[in-house]
Amino acid sequence: MSDEFVGMPDVQGRDARLGQWLYQLLAGAPPATSAEPIPVGEDVSLLGTDYHAAFYPAIPNFARALLQRDPEALTHYAPLFFHLIGCPTCHRAYLETYDALRAALSDDARPATTTLRFSSTASLATTSSKQLVFLCQLLIGQARSVLRQAHREHGDEDIWARALLQLAMQLSRHIMQGSLRQRALRDLVEVASLYQTSTTREIPERGEDTLTYSALVGAGNGVRGRTVRRAEMASRPQEQVSIELRSGNLEGTVTQEGDMLILRLSDLNISLRGKFLLISIPLGTLLEPVRWLGGNPYAIRSAGLVGPDGSLITPLGRTDLLLSNAEERNLLEILFKKLDVHPLEA
Amino acid sequence: MPFSANDLRYHLEESYPALCAYVQHRAQRYLGQLAFDAFETDQVVGHVIEYLTRIQLLGGGDRAPRTALDDLSNAQFYTFLNRMVQNKAIDRLRRRRLPMSTTGELEEQGNPDDDNDPLNSVVEPFWGDVPFANPEEAALEAVSRDQLRTLLKKCIETLSAAPRQLQAVIQELEELGAGELVREVRAEVSLDLDISVVAHLSQHKDHAHKKLRLCLQKNSTNLAVMLAIRITEYGTESSGTDELSVPIQTLTQRDLSLREVQTGLQHLTRAGLLNWQGEEVIHLTPAQRKLLTRFYEE
Repeated sequence: MSDEFVGMPDVQGRDARLGQWLYQLLAGAPPATSAEPIPVGEDVSLLGTDYHAAFYPAIPNFARALLQRDPEALTHYAPLFFHLIGCPTCHRAYLETYDALRAALSDDARPATTTLRFSSTASLATTSSKQLVFLCQLLIGQARSVLRQAHREHGDEDIWARALLQLAMQLSRHIMQGSLRQRALRDLVEVASLYQTSTTREIPERGEDTLTYSALVGAGNGVRGRTVRRAEMASRPQEQVSIELRSGNLEGTVTQEGDMLILRLSDLNISLRGKFLLISIPLGTLLEPVRWLGGNPYAIRSAGLVGPDGSLITPLGRTDLLLSNAEERNLLEILFKKLDVHPLEA
Repeated sequence: MPFSANDLRYHLEESYPALCAYVQHRAQRYLGQLAFDAFETDQVVGHVIEYLTRIQLLGGGDRAPRTALDDLSNAQFYTFLNRMVQNKAIDRLRRRRLPMSTTGELEEQGNPDDDNDPLNSVVEPFWGDVPFANPEEAALEAVSRDQLRTLLKKCIETLSAAPRQLQAVIQELEELGAGELVREVRAEVSLDLDISVVAHLSQHKDHAHKKLRLCLQKNSTNLAVMLAIRITEYGTESSGTDELSVPIQTLTQRDLSLREVQTGLQHLTRAGLLNWQGEEVIHLTPAQRKLLTRFYEE
């Protein structure tokens, strides 16, 4: 029935029904919000399903435009505005932002001299490990979101993602408890591999003979943790600090001689003996202070052959970081979260 | 040690401890009876840290776009953080159903900081007078405001590539009594389908809704509409011809970056409304001008 024949058109009523339709259309997507906020102490690095990197960061600017009564605010931020209708998480963030920004921008907001006076001797050493773990996980999650968003928009944000991962690594070195540090960086390898897929340097493919070692976080001797004394490791000085590596029941270590990092592997399979090895350190490009031999941490050729007893000692690269310094050791340990070893023909 | 938004963006490692200490201090103040409940304090502190990370301020450096928070003075930034902390603390107290202190009561406690506390203002009910306090209100605004309605119409028109989906949406709109919008859409696209013979209508509707959701939240659509307006407004006629020319710099003005303008122009080119291949000046034929005017026509 045409609405032209029913008296005065009920413009407001029609708009209300259309508005309701639009709301249902936009809110019709499966709910992407978590009912509860993420508690500190829980693992949060899977930021994703309810975080919309394309919209969330624009919320403060949109709120400011509304507060300043910008007549073009809704037009300029139309995509965000439509998004807010259908996304409870972003809508809630909008409400919070608007309210806090209004307080901040209001004329009667007195200068927060309380805050400016606020003196704190806080340092990363005195900051709760829980808060540091939380931030590291958030930064890694943020790197993942940045990469995914760039992928959707056919853009390249590798540099930004890398900077966020580096920041997480730098912060994590202040977490002295190994298990917490491991937790803080739980998704580091996975997210780093996302951006590395677009780098020009190729990571060697895994073969049947590939061995993957992982650092035993916090287990290195010398600075703290247990002291490992094995006959086949006797070639290194007794009190030398190290990063312990493990691949199944195989062990290895990374030690330092001067500024050179040395990899020691033992009990390597008979099929690897008498061969050169190609060593791949997937996180190697994340940290600039290490100058890897050959310049490519994904493909470091061993300096010698695997010995008849299955042992290999080979240099990896030079660094000014010191394994004997607890924080610097933590940073180096992160690099060896994953180390792959591939056979090369002699 | 005081910190600023700039410090959190560029020197996070140095300023994070101070941020945590400060937010925790304020959280304990506003949590009242829960002040010494470590879990509740962590909830409030974590909420603020998560927010600042999500808006890409923490460690954002030069890569993350600047936000309104970057332009606040230090005093304003602290006021902002205080308010965030206060609102979250109230939220936690409500969840635990504990009595909340009013600001007046807090003042009576004689905190030495009170004289200069920027938060000694009346605590308003949650989001009471915030525009678009609920999504339904925002949706009503979207369909009532000309330019947003135009965007909705343009997105509906893009369904013309899938006539059954377009027909399904038109039927919905007709049932709603949105005859005016339907007439506008029909004026732009031809549709010969007989709805009575369209099978699987609900499936077509679902697909159409998904496309509309994407289209409405796509920046290029919005940019294209804004640029179509500006091109027709700022274009100048070349002497002796009917052609219009517009330098793309004049389209940026104060609110659009060059990159945004380029994105919008690419969108208009893809839609067949322009022949722009990255030139500094856009040239329009009279026919294109007419199309662009209609693109915005309400």
